[in-house]
Amino acid sequence: MDFRFDIIKEYAPFFLQGVLLTIGLSIIAIIAGSILGLAIGLGKMSTKRFVRLPLEWYINFFRGTPLLVQMLLVHLGLMPLLFSQPSATVSLAVSLSLNSAAYVAEIFRAGIQSIDKGQMEAARSLGMTHTQAMRYVILPQALKRMIPPFTNEFIVLIKDSSLGAVIAAPELMYWGKAAQGQYYRVWEPYLTVAFIYLLLTLSLSKLLHYLERKYSNQ
Amino acid sequence: MIKVTNLKKSFGDLQVLKGIDAHIQEREMVVIIGPSGSGKSTFLRCLNLLEDFDDGDIIINGFHLKDKNTDINKVREEVGMVFQRFNLFPHMTVLDNITLAPVKVRKWPIEKAKEKAMELLKKVGLQDKANIYPDSLSGGQAQRVAIARALAMEPKVMLFDEPTSALDPEMVGEVLAVMKQLANEGMTMVVVTHEMGFAREVGDRVIFMDGGYIVEEGTPSEIFDNPKHERTKSFLSKVL
Ligand SMILES: Nc1ncnc2c1ncn2[C@@H]1O[C@H](COP(=O)(O)OP(=O)(O)OP(=O)(O)O)[C@@H](O)[C@H]1O
Ligand SMILES: [Mg+2]
Repeated sequence: MDFRFDIIKEYAPFFLQGVLLTIGLSIIAIIAGSILGLAIGLGKMSTKRFVRLPLEWYINFFRGTPLLVQMLLVHLGLMPLLFSQPSATVSLAVSLSLNSAAYVAEIFRAGIQSIDKGQMEAARSLGMTHTQAMRYVILPQALKRMIPPFTNEFIVLIKDSSLGAVIAAPELMYWGKAAQGQYYRVWEPYLTVAFIYLLLTLSLSKLLHYLERKYSNQ
Repeated sequence: MIKVTNLKKSFGDLQVLKGIDAHIQEREMVVIIGPSGSGKSTFLRCLNLLEDFDDGDIIINGFHLKDKNTDINKVREEVGMVFQRFNLFPHMTVLDNITLAPVKVRKWPIEKAKEKAMELLKKVGLQDKANIYPDSLSGGQAQRVAIARALAMEPKVMLFDEPTSALDPEMVGEVLAVMKQLANEGMTMVVVTHEMGFAREVGDRVIFMDGGYIVEEGTPSEIFDNPKHERTKSFLSKVL
């Protein structure tokens, strides 16, 4: 079997475009997801049931159903209600953000609850308000513990953004599929795409190890 | 200084404090003893509202803790607490542990807070540890830092909940020495402890708690040499 490098070469500019969109989408989704997730995570620790319950169901829904279903609901259901010509890229960004918010909320909650409750008590006993105790004592410790699961969520996002190919958002996987469709060749485009994803995710875990080592010695 | 009337507290169905009355004078050093589960920690934690109570009232430095309009943060600024397990902030140096609350709560300039912190570290014999992290302290050192951290707020009352119970025996003495010095300087102190020798030597008054009540109280010699109640006698016979 011959390996047709010319296909890869021909599609290289598209793969580059695609990978840039993949990276961009993942970054947008992790940022939007973090902000939303932070709010949801904090709200979920509320003592008020009517605040907690809807957020619990938000998390249940987005963690308990396939991202593909969520994305189709957003793209074919939600977006047409808001825009006359929904963009697949926007739909993908929105569904990835909503989805990652649910996971980040849980990472956030678990991180805060992993801090010994004596820390909060010590801070409060010194006269700090709840907010001050969170800001100066709990969060700095919790954030450090959140780095590994958070990086992991970022890696999952990068891989999951490939589902965008289903709704024709022109990210990396979309161009792999396009090349496959044009030449009826499987190995060349999909191996290339797989290799690029691997490159992205491995670099991220390397970065994680670096951060972990840097922050583990205070 | 502290006046407790008919204090009651339950955890679910379990009533832990069944009506506590106590009066603690300024400059007094009060030791609370009693068997495990008798409510000593709960009582102490009610004094700075780390636990809510159900009934009764506590007046501390003129603040009524029952009153919902009382700013609990203001109360806590004047009431220092030292915990069994130190609870130092592991992500901060010893110095930052001590200066955090004076700077953020009392709004002291950082220089003033540092000066005070160094003075307190000297007092507890740890001035050379200012810039290290709590991880590398021994238990006895960590507890002395925790005492310095509480003192940095210049509290009017200090609460100690079994401050030496988590320590190796050879480190108990150094912490008790700091507490003794504090008592001699006239700090108002409420100390829950199992160190009976210390209670007898340093305490102005000893309170014996059992089953959610104050069973007996008096001077150390009254309690240790002439306990009146059966329960006090049987408890002391086990621990002395
Ligand atoms: N947060 C809580 N929730 C439920 N029960 C609690 C809680 N804190 C304490 N208790 C219970 O209240 C009772 C009194 O506890 P407390 O810690 O005040 O006793 P103690 O006299 O300090 O005992 P020890 O000498 O073991 O420290 C115990 O039976 C304990 O199990
Ligand atoms: Mg206790």
